[in-house]
Formats: sequence, C-alpha cells, structure tokens
Amino acid sequence: MAHAPVAARPRVGVVKFASCDGCQLTLLDLEDELLSVVEHFDIVDFPEATSARSAGPYDVLFVEGSVSEPAHLERIVELRRRTRFLVTIGACATAGGIQALRNWGDHDAFRSGVYSNPEWVSSLARSTPIAEHVTVDAELRGCPIDPNQLLELLTALTTGRRPQLRDEAVCMECKRRGVVCVMVSKGIPCLGQVTQTGCGAICPRFGRGCYGCFGPREQANAAGLTRHFQMAGDRPREEIGRLFAGFTAYSEPFRSMVTELGGARTARGATTTAAEPAPRGGKA
Amino acid sequence: MLSGMPLSAAGGTMGGAFFLPRANLQDLLDLLREDGRRLIGPTVADEAIVYDEITSVDELPQGWGDEQGPGTYRLVRRRDGFTFGYVVGPTSWKRFTFPPVVPLTVASTVDGEVRFRTAEPEIPKLAFLGVRACELAALGVQDRVFLGGPFIETDYQLRRRATVVVAVQCTTSASTCFCTSMETGPEVRGGHDLALTEIPAGFVVEAGTPTGAELLARLPVSAARLDQSVAAVQAVAGVRAAIGNPVQTAGLRDRLMAKLDSPRWTEVAERCITCGNCTLACPTCFCINVTRRTDLAGAESISERGWDSCFSPGFAIVAGGDFRARPKDRYRQWLTHKFASWWDQFGQSGCVGCGRCITWCPVGIDVREELAAIAPAVPEPPGPPKFEPVADDRQAYATARVTHVHAETSDTTTIRLAGLDAVHAGGRPGQFGMVSLPAFPPAAISISRFLAPDGLELTIRAAGAATSAITALRPGETVGFRGPVGIGWPVEAAYGKDVVVVTGGTGLAPLRPLVDALLAERERFGQVRLYYGARTREDMLFRDELEDWDQDDAIDVTCRWLRRHQGPGGPYAGAGRSTVSAIHQASWDGSQAVAFVCGPERMMEATTIALAGHGVTRDRIYVTLERHMECGLGFCGHCQMGRFFICKDGPVFQLSDLGGTFGREGI
Repeated sequence: MAHAPVAARPRVGVVKFASCDGCQLTLLDLEDELLSVVEHFDIVDFPEATSARSAGPYDVLFVEGSVSEPAHLERIVELRRRTRFLVTIGACATAGGIQALRNWGDHDAFRSGVYSNPEWVSSLARSTPIAEHVTVDAELRGCPIDPNQLLELLTALTTGRRPQLRDEAVCMECKRRGVVCVMVSKGIPCLGQVTQTGCGAICPRFGRGCYGCFGPREQANAAGLTRHFQMAGDRPREEIGRLFAGFTAYSEPFRSMVTELGGARTARGATTTAAEPAPRGGKA
Repeated sequence: MLSGMPLSAAGGTMGGAFFLPRANLQDLLDLLREDGRRLIGPTVADEAIVYDEITSVDELPQGWGDEQGPGTYRLVRRRDGFTFGYVVGPTSWKRFTFPPVVPLTVASTVDGEVRFRTAEPEIPKLAFLGVRACELAALGVQDRVFLGGPFIETDYQLRRRATVVVAVQCTTSASTCFCTSMETGPEVRGGHDLALTEIPAGFVVEAGTPTGAELLARLPVSAARLDQSVAAVQAVAGVRAAIGNPVQTAGLRDRLMAKLDSPRWTEVAERCITCGNCTLACPTCFCINVTRRTDLAGAESISERGWDSCFSPGFAIVAGGDFRARPKDRYRQWLTHKFASWWDQFGQSGCVGCGRCITWCPVGIDVREELAAIAPAVPEPPGPPKFEPVADDRQAYATARVTHVHAETSDTTTIRLAGLDAVHAGGRPGQFGMVSLPAFPPAAISISRFLAPDGLELTIRAAGAATSAITALRPGETVGFRGPVGIGWPVEAAYGKDVVVVTGGTGLAPLRPLVDALLAERERFGQVRLYYGARTREDMLFRDELEDWDQDDAIDVTCRWLRRHQGPGGPYAGAGRSTVSAIHQASWDGSQAVAFVCGPERMMEATTIALAGHGVTRDRIYVTLERHMECGLGFCGHCQMGRFFICKDGPVFQLSDLGGTFGREGI
C-alpha cells in the first residue's frame, strides 16, 4: 500500500471481467459521498456510469470479475501495465467467483449441457482470480463489496495511509452488534468463523448462516470447522463440502475442503467426486 | 454461606429482607425508569434471552428457561412461569458499561494546524435488572481494570456511575455454570443496589446500598416472612449443589504457568477456529482496538475504540512480524491470562465462571476440560482414609540373595540379587528400591537391570556407611529389598520417535534398564543416541556393554571423559560440560525426539538447553531427580520438591511438569 497519496486527483478506471457488475454499482451506491468522490478522483473509465472511455494510464484501476475467457489472459496483463495501483473488487476478482465451481467439473460437458451451440462460446476451463495472473495491490472482498470498505479504501488512497480492512472473523462483527450466534442458538451451519469480516455480518443479522462470500480469513481453520460439522451435526461429507462451495470456493483453504469432501455440482446436477481441480495455469 | 444471617437471601444486605408480590413487579420497573433512566433487562429475541431496553413486565422472559452446553443454547418453556428462571445468555452487561464501539478523539486540521479534542459521547443513565452473581463479579473485575489507576477509563467510569444495579439471584443453573469454583456465586455477595430472589409468590428483595434502600422504601413491599426468606435461601442453595465444583482452582495459576509447553495447546488449536467469540462473549475481556475514520478530504478524523480479541490476526503484530502468529499461541494467551496472569496483574481471577465462553464457542470447546487436561489438579486425597489393611507386598522387605558382585569402578559396584518373588523382581525401567541391611538405614538404590523371573541388579556407589556395607556383600550373603517403587521412564512415549539418552557417571545405572527396553524393541524406535560423560575412562559404568550397544548402529554412543579431575564446579562439572558441548556440536534434528536424562541437576539443566537447540521441547524431555529419601513411600517428607514427593510422584518427571522448580537453587 502506498504511503503517500497516489496522485493529487488520481485518474481512476473501473473495468470488468467475468462478473455481474454488482460490485461496480457499489461505487454508485455511495450516494452521500458521490460528489466528494468525483471531486477527489478523476473517473476516466467507468462504463456503468459514463460513456467516456480511456485507454489509460490509470493511477487507480478497480478490476471486477474473474479471468474466464482466453481474451482475458492478455487483457489483464495489458491493463496491469497501464496501472499504478490495481484493486480487485468482489468475490469474482479476488477468488474466481461462483463460476469457479466449474473448476471441479468437466468444462466441455458444461458448455454442451448449457448452450445449444457450444462452439460459439469461448471460455477457459477454469475461472481464476486476478491475482493468479498479475500483481494486485489491494483487494476488496465480498459479493458484492461493502460500500464502507470501498470508502475506506478511497480515503486511504487520498491520504496515503494503509486502509483499515480487518481480516478478523465475521463473528467479531456479530458480537459487536449483539447478533445472537445462529450456530449456537439455532444449530444453523455458519462459515462466519472462517470468513473475513467486512460485510457487517449481514446474513447472521437476518437469521441465516454466513456462506463465506468475503472468502477465507487469515489462518482460517476450515478443517477444524469441518471436523466439528461432522462430529456435532452428523452431516454427510458432501453437505459440508457444499457449505464451502460458494462464491469463494476456489480460495484456499475452502478449495481443499470442496476437493476433499465433494460438493461442487456438475452440469448434470450430480456432485463431483473428491478429485483435484484441473492443474493451475498462468501465473501461479 | 450466610450462616450468620439466616433470614437474608443475599449477602451484603442492609435493612433486612422484604417481599415484593409478583403482581407488583411493574412497580419496580417503573421506579427504575424514573429520572430518565433507561431500563435494561432480560427479554426474548432471536431465540435467546438477551439484555435490551425494556419498559414493561410483558417484555420479561416470563415462563422461559434455557438449556446450555458446549456450543449450544436452546430456549425452553418453564411450567412454573418464573420470570427469572433462565441462566446467563449471549449478552453481558459490559455491552452497556463498556460498549462495543466508543468514540475517543476527534482530530482536525484548521488553518494548517492539527487540533485534537476528546469525544464526549452522551452517557445514558441506566438501570440494570437481572444481574446475576457471576455478572456482578464480572463488573467488579472490569472495575479493577478500568478504575484501578493510575489511569482511569473515563468513559467506563461515567457509565458505571450512572447505573443502578438490580441483581437477581440464580434459582436455576446450566451445565456450563462454574461460578461455585470461581467463588463468584450463585449467592449475590455485593456490588448490587437491590437483590431479588424469585420464589413462587413473588420476590424476596434486599438492599445492598443506600440507593437501593431508598428505592426499596418506595416499593409496595412488606417484611419478608420466615418461610419466604427460607424458600429464597434454599432455592439458591439448590443451585450451588447442582453446579458442584467443576474446576479445581487450588494452585491453578501455578499449574497453568508451568504448562506453557503442554502438547495440549497444539491439540486444542486444531479444534479452535480462533474466531474470538469466547473473548467477546466474556463479561470481563476488555481488549480493544483503536481505529480512525477519516473523511475523503482528510480534514477531520474520529478515532474509536472497539471490542477486539487476542484471537484476531494482527492483535500482537509489529512491523517485523506477529508475536502470536500460531493459533496455539493465541489460545494459550487467552487461557493463561484469564486463569493465571490476571492474578498477577489485578489480584484476582479474570474468569467469573459464567460459562459463556463454553456455550458461545461455535465448536464447543469447554474451558473446564482444557484446564483439566493442560493443568491437571493436584490429586485430591484418594477418597476417604483406608482403615482396612491393604496388601501391597512392595511395602515389605523381601530377603534377596546376592549371586554376583562386580566392581564397575573404584567406588561403584553392581550386585546381582536373586530369589525374589514376582512383585519385588518386576518393575519398569527407572524405578528404584530401598535396600537395607540390619543396623544400617535403608538406601534408595536405582535398579540397573531387571532379571526375570526372580532377580535384579543394583549398581551402588559406596558413598556412606550403608552403601559401603551393601557393596561389601559377597555372593551367597543376603540383603533386604523393598520395592520397586516410583514412576519409571515412559518408554511408550518414544514409540515411533527418535531417542536421546544423556547421562554422566553413575547416572547410567537407572538408564540401563531403559537401554535394555529400547534394544528389546529396537524396531519401534527411530535413531537412538546415547551421550555419556565421566570423570575418567575408568569412572565409566558398563564399559563392555557400551561397546556392545554401539555395535550394528543399534545405538549411537558418544562418550566423553577427562584425563584428570578438573573444572571449577567440582569434579563432575568438567565432564558434564564436555558431554553437553558434544550435544551442542552434533547436527541431528530432534523435532521428533524424546530425551531421557539423568545426572546432577545443573548438568541436566544445561542438557535441556542443548536439547532445545535441536528442537527437543520440554514436554519431550524426561529427567530423573535425586533427593534425600527415608521411606520411598511418600510419608517421610524429605524428598518433597514443590508439589511433588520425588519418591512416589517421580523420580522420573516430564520436564514440562516441573515448571520453575527444576534447576532452581535451594528448592
């Protein structure tokens, strides 16, 4: 992270790869701060907001989405070349997204199962996070990202300090907010303990378990949690594997849990067996 | 408890016990809400009984109870319709005295100059209804932390002072409760303005402060009848009996601090998710972080303190790295602070026994179990005294016949005994026996070899009159033998691991049965190394066998001796140093090794440091200690060292069990 402001009025771009655009929209959702954002940042490329285009260079580039098509491989390298400070936003860009569940399945079977003319579809066998291909300077997790974290990152960029993005468990946020633990009081399986905070514990606040969209936190003891699910909940292995097989399934150690327990669905609705995903390509 | 005041249901009362009919509970609530006070009390929300703002008795959890266990909490219906028939839930009162987020300082830049001002959040006037005895104790614990000086946590002080506390004594308990062990409950003993005890007809009410007495005077109460007071006392006494004494707290601080190297820390860290729920559910945990919020222009920033946890990443981080990077470091930090170092810092325990960390641990780690496993209690006296005779033949002398005598060195002799029964001739490597000749005091002698079925060997240095007489015995003569006694070397602990044996001089004697055991099952062990030092080559025991052991790489034997007596620390010191430096200079990896060490304590201490350099941790080092012994049965008291009698609790000890007593002068 920079220790001085990136630029006086940084040139900002927002681009997307394989994604739903929801994370970009979070920027537009900063309604109260929007004028201030535009005052401090020169938004040169943001298709969701403006038809103006720029080929760069960018002081700050927000990258949404995963690398999922052959054309993405070159494009991300080229964008990195034109960017000083690259920020990945959202579960797709930081973890490969929900589309990374195909990494456990048969790519060709998916294509022919879903599309009537699979030959028109150009896609890679695996959906991968941006950091697997280029160096990333900062990441905002979540599906979608949290507006407060985005604002904190923007503020840190203007002042040149480290953004205060915690990697503690979601549980900490539940406890601070007085949310009664859904796992203890209702027996609902919850990934909050192994998931990075930042969402404001939104799912437990509404009485459901965290499904890990912010991805694994530092030293996430997914194996320990799995053992607890197996012993205390008497749940079948695959059902536990499915808990980890969400938006950030391809991030370790969730990835190992999905591989070990099964739980990533294939095109036919069956579940994969405990097989390693296809070998990693690109920048490891 | 309360033997001096049978009519009082709660301790620390003033003015006696009164009775508030159930129908008048709303009067109490209304009274507490006077003067703009917000009333915080128990209410059902999210399938739990939480503490939140209430105004009416209708919001109280009447008819609700709970069932709790490690990692589980469920609301249940109560048939008796009690209002306070539940146990502590997910909320603790610190949420109101020490809120999760509090603004501290506002910093701004005005005309190029930075300015700071202390944030002054609004401090609400509060009344707490339903504070349990363990929770009163928890408030007291945080009082010491924040108000004990020299600095005062002003925000906490303001909130605490603005709060009226109405305690409710427990008339029911959960399986997770252990206030009795931590001596905080279930009886309310102080810290309350009013204390209620629920009985079927209503509430026995007592005042604990002048404020409470003033409130009480304004309530529609009557003096409690004897049967009402008795019912209240009995209800709380029933809770005490139901909880029992789940945690042995005697000596817990020292026991725990002596176990910083316990392998259990690693084991519990495999189960612990380090989510931090225990610390935030805990009513005494006080750690915070300070974050700063800035506006985009950077003109103004507000710093806030928020609940933090020693389990969170970054809690102990500095520019160079994390002091407690591993989950086991974090769990150890938390547990040892709560139950041990809190005493050193604040003169009391950091745990009040409320059980929240057990219930609200999502994976159900039970702190009581971990304490028992990591720092086992000093065994209680084993049941009532045994007045009936118990036969243990090891306590009686058997007559043994000397069959062989072998001079090992100029002053040390091995005698072989035969004709013993199976009890006296059977035992484990590392055990010893009391050897006696009429007219001489018995001598505690290590068994240097077991010779099934009826014999054993003793290797004895003629150090005094008794041992000189024993070593002067000839074949055919007889001697008294009592034993074997003591704890031997745990050979099984080394199964599948490498073994390091370190000793000097006559210290090889109690290790020879261990070597015999290693060779008997040689395939069960990895590399076996033996380091042996002596004053001179002639002072070495079992010289022929040492060469045999080294054959075929069964044992890698390293011997060190000096040409002549030397060294400032006495005749042994030079040889001991030489042995220790041989370990230092070696290059093997001891991360999978178990060590067995016998020698003078200073030599063993130096050895443990050398072993640590190879990655042999204290829980994998076993030492045998020597002390004066008169009886060998734990009665004479001579061999006491700290909490141990060396004769029956040792002489072999796992080093991590010994804590700070090992190697300390004058213990």
